[in-house]
Amino acid sequence: MLRKFVEQIVGASPISKAIQLSAVFKIAGEHDDDGRDNKEEILAIWADIENNKTILSLVPSVEELGRKPETLLLCQSSLSFLPLLIKSLYSTPGSQIDLDAHGLAEGYGIFTFLYGPVTFGVPEAGGFKFVTYGERIVKVAPTINFKRRGIEQSIVGMKPDEALLLVERSAGNFSASYSTCFATAVEDSLRIETPEAAKWIRAVAIELERIYNHLHAFAREAEAATQSVAANQVHALKERVLRLNAKYFGHRFLFGFNEIGGVKCDLSSREDREELFSSVREIAKEFSEIVDYFLSSRIFLDRLQNTARLSKEDALSLGAVGPVARGSGIDWDDRQSYPIEPYSDIFVPLETSNDGDAMGRMMVRIREVASSTVAIEELLDRLPAGKTKKGAGEKNAEFQSTLSFSATTTTSSLTQSDFSLCRIESPSGDLIQIVKLDKRGRIKSLHIRPPSFANWLSFAKSLEGNVFTDFQFSFESFGLSYADSDR
Amino acid sequence: MKLWVLRGLKKGMLTTKFPKEQPTQDELSRKSFPPTPSKVSDWERGRLICPTGAIQYDSQLAKSEIDLGKCIYCQRCSSAGFEFPETRDSTSALKATFATNGDSAYESDERLLFEKYSKLWKSFKKSFHVLMIDVGSCNACNFEVLNLSNPYYDFNRLGIFFTNSPKHADALIVVGALNKAMVDVLKRTYDNIPSPKLVISVGACSISGGIFQNTESFASPVRKVIPVDVVVPGCPPTPIQILQGLLIATGRIKTTESFVRAPTDIEETSEQEEEEKNEGSSSFKGVSG
Repeated sequence: MLRKFVEQIVGASPISKAIQLSAVFKIAGEHDDDGRDNKEEILAIWADIENNKTILSLVPSVEELGRKPETLLLCQSSLSFLPLLIKSLYSTPGSQIDLDAHGLAEGYGIFTFLYGPVTFGVPEAGGFKFVTYGERIVKVAPTINFKRRGIEQSIVGMKPDEALLLVERSAGNFSASYSTCFATAVEDSLRIETPEAAKWIRAVAIELERIYNHLHAFAREAEAATQSVAANQVHALKERVLRLNAKYFGHRFLFGFNEIGGVKCDLSSREDREELFSSVREIAKEFSEIVDYFLSSRIFLDRLQNTARLSKEDALSLGAVGPVARGSGIDWDDRQSYPIEPYSDIFVPLETSNDGDAMGRMMVRIREVASSTVAIEELLDRLPAGKTKKGAGEKNAEFQSTLSFSATTTTSSLTQSDFSLCRIESPSGDLIQIVKLDKRGRIKSLHIRPPSFANWLSFAKSLEGNVFTDFQFSFESFGLSYADSDR
Repeated sequence: MKLWVLRGLKKGMLTTKFPKEQPTQDELSRKSFPPTPSKVSDWERGRLICPTGAIQYDSQLAKSEIDLGKCIYCQRCSSAGFEFPETRDSTSALKATFATNGDSAYESDERLLFEKYSKLWKSFKKSFHVLMIDVGSCNACNFEVLNLSNPYYDFNRLGIFFTNSPKHADALIVVGALNKAMVDVLKRTYDNIPSPKLVISVGACSISGGIFQNTESFASPVRKVIPVDVVVPGCPPTPIQILQGLLIATGRIKTTESFVRAPTDIEETSEQEEEEKNEGSSSFKGVSG
């Protein structure tokens, strides 16, 4: 089924090829009609792409793209949201993700300007190309890759253990999702049996991360509406979550709690877990009180409602993920649709909204704070007993050899085409990592499809026709991060 | 409207007492404590383990030190006998904020800074506007710098504010590993700030490249491109450490442990003298009038 889909795409126009291909990974998680999991199939296609068999037919040629070198650059960068692209395609700093690169936005009263990379509404290095007509935004093209660090390239040849340090710093505020995704994929590939307890603790960390990111998004929205009292109160709640992270996981942004084969932190004591949960519950309760105040504020709601509307059809065709997709009525959440271990055992409600505007996305986030709290309660309550680290306290010869990777050791179980794929629902949506290890157990290749990257196009689409002053609301409601998409 | 006021009153005061008192244990993350080299059992092993080259050891030169400007607090060296203190002694964490432990690159600038500071400090004491520029960070430092304005740290009470334009800024906070694409942007932003101006380099990445120092797009440490006045190590540094960096930059914390050795005595006496002069002149006027 999937292969057919890819073949159909080949016949389409260059831009829509790129757009549709992003859906490949979306479909990869879905089941066939006969209930078969097509993870194997996507991996096979991935292998083809790796060997440049399929990719050559997918990347449009120069003739197809047009004559001007600028348009080539634009199209390449809009293709670059594919997780599976040739490295050189998206290495240009300042390349623009343009939905309509061929369309001429010129005429009387139309004004084009570049904003960035030192943008102060967005405290990160990245920019936008705006095409405006008076107050209205005709088109916006996010300008990315100013802070591209090239993590995928620089970890080639590293031990997974070393690479983890870089991978978790791809996006500081999604660190738990990144490190869990990478560690799970590597463990899958090396066939390391991670202790149950470690997997559950990772899920707790991911949920904590989701809570503080959603609180941050809400506080920034409130700031944009100059509701500074409320914004500061939510910022204070966020600070409390960060301190909980520091107390129980050792780092405010959850760096370094994960390692290949387990976790470093210890939540074995019942009192600790109860204390952690009661703090989280208190934070969620206070947040819901603040939200109640907010929903009675007509001024705030007016700014959010009908701002940056994204229809369900657009969200599907542009490959939106995470709260953006759920805000447009797509019921897709990796925790339910493609669950890794603890999520298949616990109940996480799927929150959607049919509004499709900034308000809809914000409501999804607000409800997810509550649902994450419920999930944390269940995770902490039913946390399996036992050690959190494989090999801790015992001398497991096989495990030691795979982790220490001395030059002479070759793990016989590994084959050349051993891929492993992991999908995690990060705070901004579906994060995909595909790891390939060589015979010595070192990284051969890593491909990251960051959630923010998938959402840039939806963001650009949703802003069309909005007034310029709504820009901040739109941006914060999408929860986009340049660090994440540039990686 | 009433509800907000009531809520605010009910919550009480959250703000840290930091510059007046030592920070509490909650305010410092465990990973802001530097490794203690006193109990190091094996420097050579530590040097090999350290992913950023923060542990420097040369048996011939008898050189053994930890460069906190490079340390990302990953605690990998704990397997080689380096100890990370579990006890939460706040002073040790704050000392770490500006310790440079003999990296010659930092020390060579010190004398120049001393001269620069004695002239500048007074103008920054009351109102200090900072501009944050991201040159390739992972977003964690950005979060921590923005956290300075939340009710727990509230740097506005100290007369420090964010500004959105280089033309209004007194100081530039640089976060992130300097990307090749951002070198020109950083230079141009720096040039657009009217002097006198200060540069505060926040996070291991901006000081030395940190974990990203071997990536392809990393250009150089920030201090090689624009003159840096204060460094705040950490990955990311806690808001308290950044706040301390800002206060040192403005000359309001007088600490000999800091990277920049403040000319404390000279500064205080000259200020007092000036105040006395002002008072004297005004009283004289009063009498004559």
